Amino acid sequence: MTTAQFLQNLLNGISIGSVYAIFALGYTLVFSILGIINFAHGAVFTLGAYLTYAMAVGQFGINGLLSGLSIPVQLPFPVALLLGCILSGLVSVLIERLAFRPLRNRGGDALLALVSSLGVALVTVNAIQYFVGSEIYSFPPEIYGDIKPAITFSIGESVVVIRTVQVIIFGVCMAVLVSLGFLIARTRFGKALRAVAENPATASLLGISVNRFILYTFFLSGFLGGLAGSLVGTSFGVAGPYFGVTYGLQGIAVIVLGGLGSIPGSVLGGIIIGLIEAFVPPDYSAYKEAVSFALLFLILMVRPQGLLGQSQIQKV
Amino acid sequence: MALLALENVSVNYGGIQAVRGVNLEVNTGEVVTLIGANGAGKSTTLRAISRLLKLREGAIRFDGREITGTAPDAVVTLGIAHCPEGRQVLARQSVEDNLELGAYVRRDFAAIRDDIGKMYDLFPRLGERRNQSAGTLSGGEQQMLAIARALMSRPRLLLLDEPSLGLAPLIVLEIFSIIRNLNEQGTTILLVEQNARLAMQNSHRTYVIEAGQITFTGPSRELLEDERVMRAYLGD
Repeated sequence: MTTAQFLQNLLNGISIGSVYAIFALGYTLVFSILGIINFAHGAVFTLGAYLTYAMAVGQFGINGLLSGLSIPVQLPFPVALLLGCILSGLVSVLIERLAFRPLRNRGGDALLALVSSLGVALVTVNAIQYFVGSEIYSFPPEIYGDIKPAITFSIGESVVVIRTVQVIIFGVCMAVLVSLGFLIARTRFGKALRAVAENPATASLLGISVNRFILYTFFLSGFLGGLAGSLVGTSFGVAGPYFGVTYGLQGIAVIVLGGLGSIPGSVLGGIIIGLIEAFVPPDYSAYKEAVSFALLFLILMVRPQGLLGQSQIQKV
Repeated sequence: MALLALENVSVNYGGIQAVRGVNLEVNTGEVVTLIGANGAGKSTTLRAISRLLKLREGAIRFDGREITGTAPDAVVTLGIAHCPEGRQVLARQSVEDNLELGAYVRRDFAAIRDDIGKMYDLFPRLGERRNQSAGTLSGGEQQMLAIARALMSRPRLLLLDEPSLGLAPLIVLEIFSIIRNLNEQGTTILLVEQNARLAMQNSHRTYVIEAGQITFTGPSRELLEDERVMRAYLGD
């Protein structure tokens, strides 16, 4: 591998890794509050991408109920993106109310919540397919404004190409990570959220409404999922209703690698999985998920709690 | 009118009827203690008042208002702070953050800062350890933090569950002197204790609970002299 290739892979890996990080944080937030993996998170990722696409571009293809439809009023991309994320957050809140809370109130097993969230994921994906078909929707290149499509520089004979979209994605993800870190570590809201995660009964004795904070958590989680989906959509196209399934699995690899429930672990895990993918040689790129799961397996043999996880998962 | 009134309260816990037909009152300014053997229903009673447990029957009134169906977090807003058994500090957060969260229901942020300062005056060791995570404190310090945190909501009624549990005798005396101080400064307290003698010596009135039912009640001074209570709970 030449220096240029190495640098190219590194930059690609960090960019996609930052998306994995914010996507995986959506799983982590819900896990740290409820102790469950929300399998509907991948579907929210997909839905978010479609929602942002609908509001920013709004041209639908030849399949599905909305075929041939074009939405007359289009929003500027940043507004569409923000609204797409907010709507994804609200969908996630709805998922909590319909799929999780009723089971929790009846004292249902965590396994039931898992199955319930898988059901929600399937319904969402099928609904998308029903409405807009399974074709790939691409964002036009000008959504990020009048910018150069790529930055190139050369090292010796070779050229390194960074697509501007990758830089923007990385910047947005970092901004979100820093804001979220501040929100959780420093604010009254974040302290209350961590109190609910550590001990819901104690939190309620302090006057913190546990159910309300669970809703906030699902909102944040859905917001991050929708954001990740939309960003990936602008980079590679919104690739059909099942486009979130692979990312959903990669996201689970990320949180297990980083350590379940660990926020820094999700960020680290996201970047690592992104880098692993980027360094899989092009001839084998169809197998990149298998490669990251194989590596995950190897790491877990040495550190079963994940890279930054606590040595055992304990609920006080 | 009593600040807190339990009327014919029954509570199921762990598949059994842990509290049966309890009537109990706490008046403003009092320290009332609830004593009884392990598993007699003391903690269950407190958990019913703070709404962590549902009533099977009966009613709970606070300041004349029925709170039987109120959510636990809303009860705190009304002015009841529950300092639970086993301290239950938020181990992963700092001492200061624990105190701040104790004032979660308040919005007067400047006064909250002042109150945190007052807690450090009252419990100097908490001030020395303000940036440490609460899980690193000793048992006695955690108990002080749990009491201080409950006070941060400026409660009109403080529920204290086994504040002396697992603490060294000197620390226990210190905790009780703090309880007396708090009461002298106007906090109304309902205290659950295994250390019956100490609890009775530091309270105005006592209720004795046996197998979920109140068996004796009266001024603590009188019950301290009562032979039946003495034999059963004071080990004389």
